[in-house]
Amino acid sequence: MAKQEIAWCPGCGDFPIRATLEKVLKELPVPARNIVLTSGIGQAAKMPHYLPYSYFNGLHGRSLPLAVGIKLARPELTVIAVSGDGCHYGEGGNHFIHTIRRRLDITILVCDNKVYGLTKGQSSPTTDQGIRNALDPQGNLNTPLSPLVMALAAGAPFAARTFAGDPHHMEQVLREAILFKGPSVVDILQPCVSFNKVNTYAWYRERVYKLGEPLQDRHEAMRAADRWGERIPIGIFWRDGQFVCREVRETFRRPVTEAAVARLLNTKCIMMR
Amino acid sequence: MEFSVLIGGEAGQGMFSVELELSEMLCRLGYTFFATKNYMSRIRGGHNYHMIRVSDRPVHALSGKPWDMIIAMDSAETERRHRPSLASDGVFLGSDRVGQIEAEAGEAFEDVTATGTILVGLILACLGADPSAHRTIAPDESVGRALAKGGEFAARWGLTGRRVISPRPGDRCKLDGNQALALGALMGGCQFVAGYPMTPATSILQYIASVASEIPVHFEQAEDEIAALNMALGASYAGLRSMVATSGGGFALMTEAVSLAGMTETPVVVIDAQRPGPATGLPTRTEQGDLEFVLHAGHGEFPRVIFAPGSIEEAISLARRAFDVADRWQIPVFILTDQYLADSVQIMEGRVPTKMLRREYPVFEAGYRRYALTDTGVSPLTHPGLSEARVEVDSDEHTEDGKITEDLDLRVRMVDKRLRKLEGLRKEAVMPSRSGDRRAPTVLVSWGSNRQIVDEAVEALRAEGIAVSSAHFGQVYPLTPQMARGLARKRLICIENNATGQFGRLLRRELGLNAAHQVLKYNGECFTVAELVERVKKVLG
Repeated sequence: MAKQEIAWCPGCGDFPIRATLEKVLKELPVPARNIVLTSGIGQAAKMPHYLPYSYFNGLHGRSLPLAVGIKLARPELTVIAVSGDGCHYGEGGNHFIHTIRRRLDITILVCDNKVYGLTKGQSSPTTDQGIRNALDPQGNLNTPLSPLVMALAAGAPFAARTFAGDPHHMEQVLREAILFKGPSVVDILQPCVSFNKVNTYAWYRERVYKLGEPLQDRHEAMRAADRWGERIPIGIFWRDGQFVCREVRETFRRPVTEAAVARLLNTKCIMMR
Repeated sequence: MEFSVLIGGEAGQGMFSVELELSEMLCRLGYTFFATKNYMSRIRGGHNYHMIRVSDRPVHALSGKPWDMIIAMDSAETERRHRPSLASDGVFLGSDRVGQIEAEAGEAFEDVTATGTILVGLILACLGADPSAHRTIAPDESVGRALAKGGEFAARWGLTGRRVISPRPGDRCKLDGNQALALGALMGGCQFVAGYPMTPATSILQYIASVASEIPVHFEQAEDEIAALNMALGASYAGLRSMVATSGGGFALMTEAVSLAGMTETPVVVIDAQRPGPATGLPTRTEQGDLEFVLHAGHGEFPRVIFAPGSIEEAISLARRAFDVADRWQIPVFILTDQYLADSVQIMEGRVPTKMLRREYPVFEAGYRRYALTDTGVSPLTHPGLSEARVEVDSDEHTEDGKITEDLDLRVRMVDKRLRKLEGLRKEAVMPSRSGDRRAPTVLVSWGSNRQIVDEAVEALRAEGIAVSSAHFGQVYPLTPQMARGLARKRLICIENNATGQFGRLLRRELGLNAAHQVLKYNGECFTVAELVERVKKVLG
């Protein structure tokens, strides 16, 4: 895809994420027609426009309920919701928690650059305390969110972190996340070259290290996922081998019959009290 | 011939069960009746009351006449509030008598909840119901015995055959307003419903949830109303006819997704079961206060249709139609109902048409453009995974193939394309239904749930020699010039359950019709026929 068509800043972490996602999706053992992307609003949420698949680019924070509706209607589709930290953790924070709890096979990809890019540099839920910007001239007063701890607390059976500066690692993690049967969350550390002067490619390269094998239990995974600072672990923190997705009944092209509706006539009234 | 009974008491004292069981038995015995209720937003205590009007002709409203019987499940409140409206020859069953029933219920059935069934048996005996029929209507032997016990109490207190009403032969079914909407939705091909519980819409969700295991329909309880409508849009995009149901407060959260449906041209049906606002308002009471809200909900400009059914039949037919309109025109379609219609149980005589609507699934090839510009404004619709056609949908202004655009000429063409649908929608608008003497100089105008109250009031007024007719709008938007036919030179009285006359304003704005008068009610209760007759007479002088 020609670069000039893409609305991201030169050097944006979204470029390597897009390239990796394109490769992973192309190699996926599912027909391309069965892949559907959803996204919200923000620079990362433009991702589906730059990939050759069906997509529903909805409203800010709302990529996940769209994904839920699509997956429930058509369980045979591979559904991936891709958006930024502001979209998934801020505006859509409630959906993030409850989509994970729904036990559906949906992949949640978060391009986490710790800043609002599209609106030009305001604090996001993952912005560090004290960071100054236009709307936080005295410095961000809020505690940054630990997104994977939140995902694990909501019951995510697959929780991982990767780094946009390490395409090889990113490819492995994204592939495993998409192939995992259940709600999977990947927080992708993504430098923002325009508005985040702290968490740069170099800053991350000095700090990230790869986890070995997945951790043994969810609480251990939470502790590891919560590590941040001089050393930042990347990899799959938690993959629940016992996890069973919720069953979704096939309804598409199986219309309700007239006989079934006739049977429902004269059923008891439900009195709300 | 009529018999009206009010059953009052505290929440939790069993009045709901009496109404439920009585309406069930009346229907099985072939009686025609209308039942509604007035309840508080609490689980225990307070004061609730249930009203049942049994008649030898079809009735679809509260008459507003004095009660033939009042049953008090509590010690004082029902008597204090309602006894003044008991007919001079009416029967009052106070706590002493209900207590006797309770005592015998405890003894004979080892279960005081049999009290409700005994009361049902007593009421049936008052109506002169044949006790030998009890066996055929009772689901089991102990219910049959409790009904018979009610007959014994009626005999003991001299109430047997107090007001003999004959059952009416023929097919019938018993539905409340929400059940009718849910059924209509299923007939319209609805296969996906998402929602968050909110009175008075919850029972729509519950109907769907309760049948979802038997039929190919999905119900999902969303984390909030924002998610509910977005889920419905996701399911619709994926190929299922989809719906949400909520009340005004929940709908407030849905408005951004209404706008998303408008921009992405994703078919969806939204039911707003209105209750008095603003904010939490009166959660369990009725109002028609959301018309202007629903009319304007969602930022930006896009076409929509709003239906407001006024009867069980119309709830079924308009809910079914809503899915067809939403799908063919790829727009959000709204259904305005309210607590009154939702919670009123009515008999629908004759066969319920159960014809189903089906959706087609055309397939396109690569190069498919979701937003291809067309004369009607409607672009070909397909769904992901059916062919190599990619279905690209975007909330930004977009190109014909669904990509973000800031081409301002294209923007104008896209706006025009979306709004062009209104021309077609106007052509297939549902005309108002009229009753009474069309030559009469005065027309009572209603929308939504007031329809049948107004129709009965028209009959009553005509019986008094006052020449009136009625016009009920089952479609409240868009309004078309044809709808104004026969109304322009009349004296219009707009009947609404709100404080500001919202539909009257809409009639003026859209059709240039000026209602000479308005009759409004906004205390949270429905109109009764008698009350409406009095208020119309007052307006007419």
